[in-house]
Amino acid sequence: MRITRNAVAGTAATVGMTLALAACSSSAGTEASGSAAADGGDAVETVKMCALVSDVTSSEALAFRDYYTDYIASEFPVEFVYSDELTDAEAEKTAMEGFIANNCQAVISFASADRPTQLDMAEDAGIYYAVATGALSAEEYETFKDYEYYVGAIGPDAMTEFQAGYDMAQYFIGEGDTSFGIFGGGIPYYLEMHINRAAGMLTALAEDGTTSYGGATEMGDILGKIYADGTIKIQDFESDVYELTGYLETWDFDAAWQASMAEMIAADPDAILAVGTGNAILGSAVDGTDIQIGDIDAYTEDNLVAMENGTLGFLAGKFTSINGPIFAATLSAVQGEPYRTEDGSAFALSQGYWTATSAEEFQEIVDADNVESPVYDVDTLSPFVATGATYDEFADFVGKYTFADLVG
Amino acid sequence: MHDLNPTDVNKETDVTVDTRDDAKTTATSTTKAETTTKADAKAASKARRGKLFADLAPLIGLAVLAIAFVLVGTSSGTNMGYAVETLINQSVIIIIIATGAIFIFAMGSFDISLGASTLVAAMVAGLVHNATGSLWLMLGAAILTAVATSLISATLAAVFNLPVFVTTVAMLSVLGAVAAALVQTTGGAQIRIDRAFSREYDTLAVKLIVAAVFLALCVFLFNYTRLGRVEKLVGGNPMTAKLTGVSMKLTAIAAFGIAGLGVGLGAFLTVLRTPTLTVTSASDIGMNILVAMVFGGMVISGGPRSRIYAAIIGGISMALLNQTMSIMLQGMAGGAGIAQMVRAVLFLAVVWLAASGFRTKVLPR
Amino acid sequence: MGSFMQRATGTLIIPVGVFAVVWTLATLDGASLFSSGDSLLILARATAVTMLTTMALAINLNSGRFDFSLGAMALASSTIGASVAINVGGGFPVMAAVTVLSGALLGAFSGFLYVTLRISPLVSSLGVTLLYEGLAFTITGGGNISFTQYPELVSFGKSLVAMTAVIIIALIGVYTVFDRSRFGSDYRSLITGQAAAVSAGVKEKGNAIKTYAVSGALMGVVGLIQASSKGLIEAGSINFSTIGIMFTAFLPMFVGGYIGRYSNDKLGYLLGALSMSVIGLGYSALKLTSAQQSLITALLLVVFLIFLSNEERVGRWWRKVKGGNRTPQQPSDTDAAQSVGTGAR
Repeated sequence: MRITRNAVAGTAATVGMTLALAACSSSAGTEASGSAAADGGDAVETVKMCALVSDVTSSEALAFRDYYTDYIASEFPVEFVYSDELTDAEAEKTAMEGFIANNCQAVISFASADRPTQLDMAEDAGIYYAVATGALSAEEYETFKDYEYYVGAIGPDAMTEFQAGYDMAQYFIGEGDTSFGIFGGGIPYYLEMHINRAAGMLTALAEDGTTSYGGATEMGDILGKIYADGTIKIQDFESDVYELTGYLETWDFDAAWQASMAEMIAADPDAILAVGTGNAILGSAVDGTDIQIGDIDAYTEDNLVAMENGTLGFLAGKFTSINGPIFAATLSAVQGEPYRTEDGSAFALSQGYWTATSAEEFQEIVDADNVESPVYDVDTLSPFVATGATYDEFADFVGKYTFADLVG
Repeated sequence: MHDLNPTDVNKETDVTVDTRDDAKTTATSTTKAETTTKADAKAASKARRGKLFADLAPLIGLAVLAIAFVLVGTSSGTNMGYAVETLINQSVIIIIIATGAIFIFAMGSFDISLGASTLVAAMVAGLVHNATGSLWLMLGAAILTAVATSLISATLAAVFNLPVFVTTVAMLSVLGAVAAALVQTTGGAQIRIDRAFSREYDTLAVKLIVAAVFLALCVFLFNYTRLGRVEKLVGGNPMTAKLTGVSMKLTAIAAFGIAGLGVGLGAFLTVLRTPTLTVTSASDIGMNILVAMVFGGMVISGGPRSRIYAAIIGGISMALLNQTMSIMLQGMAGGAGIAQMVRAVLFLAVVWLAASGFRTKVLPR
Repeated sequence: MGSFMQRATGTLIIPVGVFAVVWTLATLDGASLFSSGDSLLILARATAVTMLTTMALAINLNSGRFDFSLGAMALASSTIGASVAINVGGGFPVMAAVTVLSGALLGAFSGFLYVTLRISPLVSSLGVTLLYEGLAFTITGGGNISFTQYPELVSFGKSLVAMTAVIIIALIGVYTVFDRSRFGSDYRSLITGQAAAVSAGVKEKGNAIKTYAVSGALMGVVGLIQASSKGLIEAGSINFSTIGIMFTAFLPMFVGGYIGRYSNDKLGYLLGALSMSVIGLGYSALKLTSAQQSLITALLLVVFLIFLSNEERVGRWWRKVKGGNRTPQQPSDTDAAQSVGTGAR
């Protein structure tokens, strides 16, 4: 026992001294390299940019990553470091600590469990921070817009998400469909974008005079009811025109979940309106039926096949290179030219989805934007990387995101 | 508590050959050594060396990982000052909870619901803070909730004579449902406490003070009081413990109470570190404390070879390994998978070395 | 063992009782357990997955070997099987063969590590879980494997006949291997007296490796069913995210142990799994949230364990209520409960 204690003490002392000496010697080194960078000596110095991601497995996430690591990294002086899949605020904080320790010069965040903490950490460490494919809430924006190192956010805001759900429902209504199932995905986890999309769907249905959800017909009231319930209750849907035949949520895949899914499909709705991952989760199950899925996802090969075989009827998707502008703004900030609004705040710009309702439209989008040949290519982005472009010019550039704007 | 297990025979063997723990055991072993032949003495000496090496394996692992971390970190230009601070930040909660849990594991029990307990305690603490604004009430709520949760498991197991592990499996589900219900009380996806408040107290000093006080208490209780000896005796040979008049139920309740205190303090620090709590918060903690303990040399079946330092050594080792791997594999596609495989191999290697002096004729169970 | 009636009653009381209760609750709520044409398929598929997982857990746990790596084996084997089928071709037969074979090999390797390193099986399984999750992640680079473009690979999970066949074949196979073979006889002797069996010449290491291989093969089938029913494999699951499936097997395992007293524990695992699947259909019919489902399942586990551990007391109370003493004493099922001790009482 004495030996063990001595060994513990000895090892602790050795480890402690090793780490302490390394910490002291390295701190000096880091300061030196930091000041060299600040002096702006070498214009083509490779910038270390780090990405916080909450999803590393979906086709969309992989396409976004390939665009950055394969295309952008080969065209710009930048090196990307990706986090592991971050499932909660603690994981995000741990990843941020790793990024800061490893001298990341900017963080592009795709993870939203605890953005305030991410922002505080980046500000404290003096590294630039940007939000991709998302937005801060209005309250958060007011709190953080003046942070020196907060670059800004580009992505679908709450209204854009609402509109995507609304457009999906409108499309199927336009097709003459009257019975619907809804896949609510992360609604019980209060995933805001899913709640907004579902509210959009229900609001579109409620435009018919006889239709309401729990008595609500307006966007705000419907949103409020979903937030209060933490789910969608089909028994609260009332309409003389439309029928809500089933509702499914989460991704449990257990017997109860599968039974609920089978029940929704057995009710044989005209369409299933999915707040996300609809084809991935339900595609196999509706195969061989006449049910069409409306989905908000990405332009992946799997979704193309589903649209070709008629399973997928509507897709609102983020295109592969959608994160080009936020990269340009972040690199510009690192290189000394951050974009700020007229009052000196970080920017908050909205970008929406591209929509396809046929395999031809889908193919056009895939042909126009892919990792090898993105719409936001080096020529398109370079004018906005530390070239003296103004905020208004950048905002105008970001605002023209539709297929017609970018491809023509 | 159930007190019969097929491994009891093996444990008994361990107790009689272990020369380091128990005065009585040492005396028995010494007497035996005096009466053995030269060959036996040589074998005994070899066995002692083997056991010494096994004891040192987690420490050697820690030292090697520390050196590797420094070498890899400095050669890749890592900000080592910040990285060392990060190491402490990332390991302190695991160390606190795992150290408390050693009292459970030492008696051969197994609690898989510690992560879920941490989450529920942290959520209650967060809600209490939001209602009162008080740091101390928040701390008290975290500890009370965690101790109560822990004691429910212990009481269920003790009163109804259930296997602890399965009771905690059930508690895992129950606590998950409680966490979901607590979040729903806020009408949103999360319980969030004031950022300014958490930033004020989420400091290295607070963490180190909490850790130092709790670890000192645990080391004292485990190594210098009857409670620690009884825990190990129950883990090593429950039948003997029973025959010597040890109250199995009270011992279990004490162990779970101390573990609950650790969970409560861990939950308190969790709220300060990550003021946004969701149903998935702290989901890694349950398994991470298990890995940390074992990495640090804790014997999973408990007994006299249980070490209170295991969680500290293992917690720091795991943090060092994680950081080193993330530095080495940063930017590599699929790096997380490779990092996890490397972690697995190192984990198995350290555990194998730590068990090298304690082989039995039959396979361990 | 008692009369045929006693054995039949003991064997069927739980599944029949569960069905009656769940059906009544659903009916009172105005819902149906079999509301869709796929209900039977779902029941069969859930029963197959739960039964196979329960068997994979129990065959090692009966020997005091706790295995966290069951889910990781299912994930890794199905990832290997699907990757080979997609890249090499051969359709579902190749995917099935490679998945089950790699499951068996992964299981055997897990057993090999355990007998070679001679460390606690629980600890060994922690390392193996990390290893196999990392392997699956590395094979796909972290991405999901989707079968949208390969519909021929997912027909298996949608076939009631296939699911029923899996149940029957697995039940007969596991029964034959563990109850009607020399290997099974050695396996049982190691359970009842490890040291004595080894002294008597039973090759414990080989027996353990083979048991792990069977467990891996069973989880390979689970991986295959899950992949083909979901239409995707979430190969990026790391950091112990695969261990959840193990927890679904505890209640059916204890139910199986109880039923085993009256007939056979393997049949018990099937009936336990069937009971859980009926409960799952009940959850859906009653529209319970996932939190409510977790809570009820946990309570059922605790209540059933309390019953098992206090059966004699319950029996005494029941005899007192009936005013007679006709019920024969049953052996307590504490063996099953203790085996979950895993050095973890």
